[in-house]
Amino acid sequence: MTGRRASGGRGLGYGMLAPALAVLAGLILGPLVYSAVLSAYEWKLTDIGLPKPFVGLDNYTRLFDDPMVGVALRNTVLYVVGSVGAELVLGFVVAAALFEMTKGRKLANALILLPMIIAPVITALLWRYLLDPQFGLVSQLSGAVGLPSGIGWFGESNLALPALMVVDIWQWTPFVVLILHAGMLSIGEEQFEAARVDGAGHLRILQRIVLPAIVPQILLVLLFRTMDTYRIFDTVFVLTKGGPGTATETIGLYTYRTGFSYFDMGYAMALSIFILVTVVVISTVYVRLLRRREVL
Amino acid sequence: MKTNRGWTVASYAIVAAFLVGVLVPIAAVVLNSFKQPNDIFSSTLKLAFSPTLDNYSKVLGQLQFQDFLVNSTVVAAGSTVLSIVVGVPAAYALARLPLRGRELWAGAILFTRMVPAVALVVPMYVIFQRLELLGSYTALIAAHTTFNLPIVVWMMRSFFEELPPDLEEAALVDGANRLGAFIRVAVPLTAPGLAATSVLCLLFSWNEFLFALVLSGRGTQTVPIGVASFIGTVSVDWGGSSAAAVLAMLPVFVLGLAAQRFLVRGLTFGAVKG
Repeated sequence: MTGRRASGGRGLGYGMLAPALAVLAGLILGPLVYSAVLSAYEWKLTDIGLPKPFVGLDNYTRLFDDPMVGVALRNTVLYVVGSVGAELVLGFVVAAALFEMTKGRKLANALILLPMIIAPVITALLWRYLLDPQFGLVSQLSGAVGLPSGIGWFGESNLALPALMVVDIWQWTPFVVLILHAGMLSIGEEQFEAARVDGAGHLRILQRIVLPAIVPQILLVLLFRTMDTYRIFDTVFVLTKGGPGTATETIGLYTYRTGFSYFDMGYAMALSIFILVTVVVISTVYVRLLRRREVL
Repeated sequence: MKTNRGWTVASYAIVAAFLVGVLVPIAAVVLNSFKQPNDIFSSTLKLAFSPTLDNYSKVLGQLQFQDFLVNSTVVAAGSTVLSIVVGVPAAYALARLPLRGRELWAGAILFTRMVPAVALVVPMYVIFQRLELLGSYTALIAAHTTFNLPIVVWMMRSFFEELPPDLEEAALVDGANRLGAFIRVAVPLTAPGLAATSVLCLLFSWNEFLFALVLSGRGTQTVPIGVASFIGTVSVDWGGSSAAAVLAMLPVFVLGLAAQRFLVRGLTFGAVKG
């Protein structure tokens, strides 16, 4: 017994866990603490060797007075709600349709996942060309059927944000479809039998049996998609750089620019801590809900 | 569910329409990569055109796109190997070994998935600058490990938990110690899961943009940086950039389809078994 304990007890467990924890502490916790500390100073990346004045929480109070933060948050929230809402509704419809299919489901599954494994930068390139006002496929097709063509989606201030949402919806609805479909597959056949015996119609079954059964999957999708759309960066950076004007400025992009275009590092660090805190608060709510349902 | 004929027809139509929506943007860029400029820059759609490989030879010749492919491969392989070597033992410990506060540790590792890249990239830039590692492969590999390592731990933990414990116990009875049971029994039995996990790590690293944008240098820029440099420039080279996009997508499609069964599990930290 003592021999077994020495070779397979707590010691070994901690020994095997420790390297991973050390790496994560060094690569994640370390930089975050560093960021929190340096956000209390006023300093520019370009001021090499100059003293950094300590400003306490000034960078954080500045954040609440900065009108650009308000604009960026408003755009980000619109982007999150618009994209995730559309992905959830469209994803549910397609998942339910896929669930109904008897043949070709495997092939459909394999093709559906393609968008979500493409790099967001490449997705941006695909849509940059599709939505080009002159030579884009959308313009060519709408011209051919007599619809208005030649719209510069990413260049119009009231269309740019919705166009970015379309890109997100194209890339990530497949994720929603696959997860909700997996949830539907785990519903026991006897539940459908019982409903059919009761004479329930198709929509009624979807509403009374399928929808309540996949609530955990819906929460999971909401958690991941909300987290990831809130920090949206790649496609915005590549397609609009926050423009035209401030129409597509998001909180992630604004933080990046504060640090790497204006070199205002103390403030950029305060902004990045702000993003971290808001993401953690939002996710904790979802994770609590999921834990209660024993999904995570 | 399978009852009403009308619903079945409608379902096939919905899935078919969705697939068209998924595939057309990809097909369009593939077609563009084989087109001459005068076939691309036309106000009407040209489906009949004489295909050319000019775009590819230009991208791989003059534009040196293969350098980006090499850099991406080095970074993806480096971060995957590091994440697997460090993450698999941790996953086994969390799945099988007695630990105080097991769920707390697992939760802490899950928490790292919530940390936005932009919150890490700002301090990392300053730290790597101090360490004179900006623009090095090391910086990129370290940065990509921040998202790959938590994935390895959570995914491999779910694979180890699915393994019936009898086989490891039999090895223990035969005189092996826990470490031996882990290396000689548990790891070989989860080999398919390990392969799928590695594939996902390669994929996530291959696609990553923000860390690469900030931390890479002239000699270490990855594929997404190469592709992004094509977009938004004054004279956009559609054929060339489309060819680059196709070259970047090809390995991803091969890897993604190979790991298809486990893709959703990886993206949801093992919560959805798929």
